Amino acid sequence: MLVLLIGLIFCYGSGILLPFCVPRKPQIQGMLGSACSSVASLIGIALGLGGLVAAEPLTASVASLIPLLSFAVRLDPLSSFFVLTISLAGLATSIYAMSYLKEFHGRVSVAMLAALTNGFLLSMILVVIADNGFFFLMAWELMSLVSYFLVVTEHEKAEVRDAGFFYLVMTHVGTAFVVLTYLVLFQSAGSFSFESFRHPEQALPDGMKTLVFLAALIGFGTKAGIVPLHGWLPLAHPAAPSHISALMSGVMIKTAIYALIRVYFDFLGGQFPWWWGFTVLLVGTLSALLGVMYALMEHDLKRLLAFHSVENIGIILMGIGAGMIFQTYGLTEFAALGLLAALYHTINHALFKTLLFMGAGSLLYATHTRNMEEYGGLLRRMPWTGLFFLIGALSISALPPTNGFISEWLLFQTLFLSFQLPALFLKLMLPIAAAILALTGVLALACFAKAFGISFLALARSTHARQAEEVPIAMRIAMGSLALLCVGLGLAPMIVVPLLDRITGPLTGLSISDKVLALDGWALAPVNMEFSSVSTPMLAVMLLLCGLLGLVLAFLFGGQLVTRSYKTWGCGITLSPRMAYTATGFTQPIKRVFSTIYQPTIKLETEFLEESRYFAKQRKFEFHIEPIFEQYLYGPVVRVFLGIADRLRILQGGSLHLYLAYIFVTLVVLLLFAV
Amino acid sequence: MQISPHIGSQLVDLCSALLLLTCFAIVAQRRLSACVDLFALQSAFLVLTAALVAFLTGNHHIYIAAALTGVIKVVIIPRVLKKVIERLNVKRELVMNVNVPAGLLICGALVMLAFFITQPIIPLGFLLTRDSLAIALAIVLIGFFTMIARQKAVSQLIGFLVMENGLFLGATAATYGMPLIVELGVFFDVLIAALIAGIYTNRLQDAFDSVDTSHLTVLKE
Repeated sequence: MLVLLIGLIFCYGSGILLPFCVPRKPQIQGMLGSACSSVASLIGIALGLGGLVAAEPLTASVASLIPLLSFAVRLDPLSSFFVLTISLAGLATSIYAMSYLKEFHGRVSVAMLAALTNGFLLSMILVVIADNGFFFLMAWELMSLVSYFLVVTEHEKAEVRDAGFFYLVMTHVGTAFVVLTYLVLFQSAGSFSFESFRHPEQALPDGMKTLVFLAALIGFGTKAGIVPLHGWLPLAHPAAPSHISALMSGVMIKTAIYALIRVYFDFLGGQFPWWWGFTVLLVGTLSALLGVMYALMEHDLKRLLAFHSVENIGIILMGIGAGMIFQTYGLTEFAALGLLAALYHTINHALFKTLLFMGAGSLLYATHTRNMEEYGGLLRRMPWTGLFFLIGALSISALPPTNGFISEWLLFQTLFLSFQLPALFLKLMLPIAAAILALTGVLALACFAKAFGISFLALARSTHARQAEEVPIAMRIAMGSLALLCVGLGLAPMIVVPLLDRITGPLTGLSISDKVLALDGWALAPVNMEFSSVSTPMLAVMLLLCGLLGLVLAFLFGGQLVTRSYKTWGCGITLSPRMAYTATGFTQPIKRVFSTIYQPTIKLETEFLEESRYFAKQRKFEFHIEPIFEQYLYGPVVRVFLGIADRLRILQGGSLHLYLAYIFVTLVVLLLFAV
Repeated sequence: MQISPHIGSQLVDLCSALLLLTCFAIVAQRRLSACVDLFALQSAFLVLTAALVAFLTGNHHIYIAAALTGVIKVVIIPRVLKKVIERLNVKRELVMNVNVPAGLLICGALVMLAFFITQPIIPLGFLLTRDSLAIALAIVLIGFFTMIARQKAVSQLIGFLVMENGLFLGATAATYGMPLIVELGVFFDVLIAALIAGIYTNRLQDAFDSVDTSHLTVLKE
């Protein structure tokens, strides 16, 4: 195992260095970088699977000269699971990048891009295997910085620079809270090693525990993109190159989920008041609902996907929150189930979001635009991409037999188990959360009906879309393998659940895999069989059978199957792309229904001819949605800081001598104090 | 040959005092090229001090540091600075934020401050060099003050280098020399800093037709 770990670090390391060894050959640079990260990810997959089934966690550490810091790593089931998730996404994106990097030849330094990608993957792995708070923070910062540099790959565009800056600020605000979390833990533990966090010399007082809870939620929540700290996602994800957006959205934000589970269930030992779990559940529910609602209104495919990450992180947090609530009341089985649902959704989201982002990248590659309104009819030109995107869309919309269905179903079951809770308030709140989750699912389905329909069906709405070509084979392989995994993880919960049980078992102290799996694993029946059960393989078979039945019936009673090829009737007018549904039109009803939340403003300006008011020269239609959080949350904060900065500007004399004098006076005063 | 520690200590103190004296000379001097010469002289005294400490304590690595000081601060940097002054044609410091008599008075106060601050530390130091610590701090403060008091970029660079000399003296005085690797790093830093400041001065001249750093005020938002 240790050999694998060293091999993984070595491969990523060579991926960072090798691209620079062949200057002026972007083709080879990209290939080298991708090859290294592919091999490293393969090793990572082996390492993750090995760590999940290993009896004892793998530990290793290298002491350092810096006090309190040791480069300690520990591969317990929780870490291994995230190593596996990161490596799966890493492998797919590496293969994808082999062709996709062509987009950047001549525009940006491909060597730098390839090296940063390797560094990014490595830093994420280090984050999840770190066993020392200090080392964790270093890896965490490294991950943030590298991802920032990746976001600003195309820094010649002003909007990319702005997005990068916003991301950098947000991620550092988050890091400040993460540091606070670890410092409080350190105070009682006396050491930065995770082992001492678990078993501190003196227990944390309750107030401090609450501080840890809140600081971790804000700090890691910023990275995860929970509402209202999600502002950076829809900016940074579209700005980054597509395979990087896939990684950021698919796995980087999951490192925050890892850290939250680590802090709450591992360090604090799952001992907390009920309102902690409720807060997490509330935040999760809000994120899920608002994320999908904002996603619906987006016509920029990558922004849409970014908002869906907010939604899915919300769903994962709902699982964790429900788990925490059950844990508080000692209902360990249900707690384990909630956590299991959250983890299942984590890997599912990593798979289908990576797939979808790569799909979006393929569309960008083929059409050079991210605006959905300029797509249309792409299914005929890019059938493979269309198929894989459809599978991803089915997964994210939680339709059987794909993986998204299983995890959301498990989460529903967890939430419905609330009738076992002693507190009436929670008994009521959990089903409400379940109802909101249902609404979220429906909206997600609507959103992807729009995304897929507008992009792939009907007629092409721009020359770009008309001239689109299927993407190269490497990109198709990358998407195809993830699409297969999406279906595979949906059909095979009997393999996934026992593996996940190895994580939740130690965290909650109870193994539930036999209780969840029924009929030799062919059906899922969480905790008690009478309550509910489902079997995705069965569902898949039934779906197939229904299809066959339809065909048979048609064959028997519908007469001959004749294909007649003729033009669609367009009321006597020739069909044109302008007759097709637009993305804006598609979402209009939903916009109306939820106008309280969206606060839409519509502006219609008409310019008339000078001669007569009866003839309009041109009409201008403007529509936009009020970004509530930007306006009412970020806005005031920014204004306060700008106000303070304005006041402080007096200090800025502009004179070098003045600045030196400031330093001088400070120095002398400090020296005098030292005496 | 053996010198009694007492006399050795006196010798080191004498050299340190000479360093301090050159500081005052730099503050009092208006001609830039003379300032550079004085800096070279100060560095030479520093070499002497370091060599003396090396001889008296038997720490041979200080010899290397002393030799490097000699090469870099007595020869190379003054030469670079002279070049800069020649190219820019700035012979005299015409504008000063603090005039010379006031500057000298302030420097006197700074020396007193330095001795006052180091008072509690001095008895803890090594017998041989402990009084040098106060002088080293005084040199650092005076160097800093020079940077504030003078307008031209060249004299600011000299101030910076004087500070560095003070730090070197302090390091030698307090610990009988830093580890050699650290010294090497510091020398490299100083050399690079001097080069960069030289380039910066040239750019300043190109941009404003003057090396008066108060012109940089316009960069303020």
